[in-house]
Amino acid sequence: MKLDVDRDRCEGHGVCAMTAPTLIHLDDDDQPQFEHGVAPADAELARVAASVCPVTALRLLI
Amino acid sequence: MTALSNVDLFADDVLTDPFAVYRELRAAGPAVRIDGHDMWVLPRYPQVRAALAGHEAFSSAGVAYEDQMNEQLRGTVLASDPPEHDRLRAVLAERLAPRALRGLRVQIAAQADQLVDGLVERGAFDAVSDLAEVFPVTVVAELIGLPQHVRPHLLGLADAVFDTFGPFNQRTMASMGQMVQSMGMVAQAVTREQLSPDGWAAHLYAAADRGEIDESSVFPLLTAYLVASMDTTVNAIGSAIMLLAHHPEAFAALRADDTLAGPIFEETLRLESPVQGFFRRATRDVDVDGVTVPASSRVMLLFGSANRDEAKWNRPDEFDVARNPVDHMGFGYGIHSCAGQGLARMEAAGILTALARRVASIELNGAPRRRLNNVIRGLRTLPVTVHPAALT
Repeated sequence: MKLDVDRDRCEGHGVCAMTAPTLIHLDDDDQPQFEHGVAPADAELARVAASVCPVTALRLLI
Repeated sequence: MTALSNVDLFADDVLTDPFAVYRELRAAGPAVRIDGHDMWVLPRYPQVRAALAGHEAFSSAGVAYEDQMNEQLRGTVLASDPPEHDRLRAVLAERLAPRALRGLRVQIAAQADQLVDGLVERGAFDAVSDLAEVFPVTVVAELIGLPQHVRPHLLGLADAVFDTFGPFNQRTMASMGQMVQSMGMVAQAVTREQLSPDGWAAHLYAAADRGEIDESSVFPLLTAYLVASMDTTVNAIGSAIMLLAHHPEAFAALRADDTLAGPIFEETLRLESPVQGFFRRATRDVDVDGVTVPASSRVMLLFGSANRDEAKWNRPDEFDVARNPVDHMGFGYGIHSCAGQGLARMEAAGILTALARRVASIELNGAPRRRLNNVIRGLRTLPVTVHPAALT
């Protein structure tokens, strides 16, 4: 399971980082940064973070 | 079996309070055929969200009810599908993405403080005409770089344009004349020589000069800035103040912790979504959780209903400052998700934190009155009295 962001589509609204601050933070350019692999314990939080992306740029790949 | 309803979603009484009707529609099915109008509605959260994400099946070429209006909207980002949409959106996003707005936060907060200071001194005022309608026009007209003389016409333009998203009812017909008149006035005011050289409008002309967009796209994109940034933000701010006046405990919580400004704004957008719904056109027969919506159908995505779907939200009709419902459909979702949501959040945070710092309590000083619009939910007047906070 891993998080994946479409950098062309991401506009940096930051809703993912607000939702899952332990998994995702925004860099100086408002691009989300995260560990690609998601630990099983964080799976639900990662799923929610992907689901709140307003422009469907963030995805959780299973 | 196809669920049918004969409700007129654009009748005065429904627009005034649509939530009981929405509840019936949600109970009727995932997609409901509306008898009196030639349209379907999607009233539940999962299907609204899926339709917004599935733009291949639900085309924005039919974002308004009437073909004639869709024809007029052609070439705007709102009424486009990929790939044209993505090119237009990228030009807007270059100015509207949070990273582009970061430098504006301090300036917008200062503008909010100044406006709220003057109103606190007055004590009693109309939170719509003296506050909610003033702020977005001031902020956005400045950012776009519009000449002064056109600014008073912007709100009327936005309100009229959104009415024409509905079917040709009396409200739409009344707004058509105003739209044509205001649009003409704006068109005359946005020639290159009248615009601030560093504003967003000048930026659009520059993008055309560089060949990134066609010169013919400049005016449609400009109207996207103008129309989409007015009624929406005005009504969101007006509704937030109404909810805070109705819920003194929520305002007290905001005063104690102004980081609640964000969650309060999101909860306002969920409960009182400024855009209650937009249309799409089915590009093929679409299976909506067991209901077949035939190709070419008009489909209204009811954001306002999805945002109160009892299957998605606990106690959906309650204003809960702690909910922070960031996955509401108030900004839409997917490729057409509001391009200006970062700016809207910044404007709202500016106003709400300014109120939290300067005001001890907000009381209604008369009955609020609604402004009815075919797709927009908001207030015409909201008389309030505010009591100044002790200086700290």
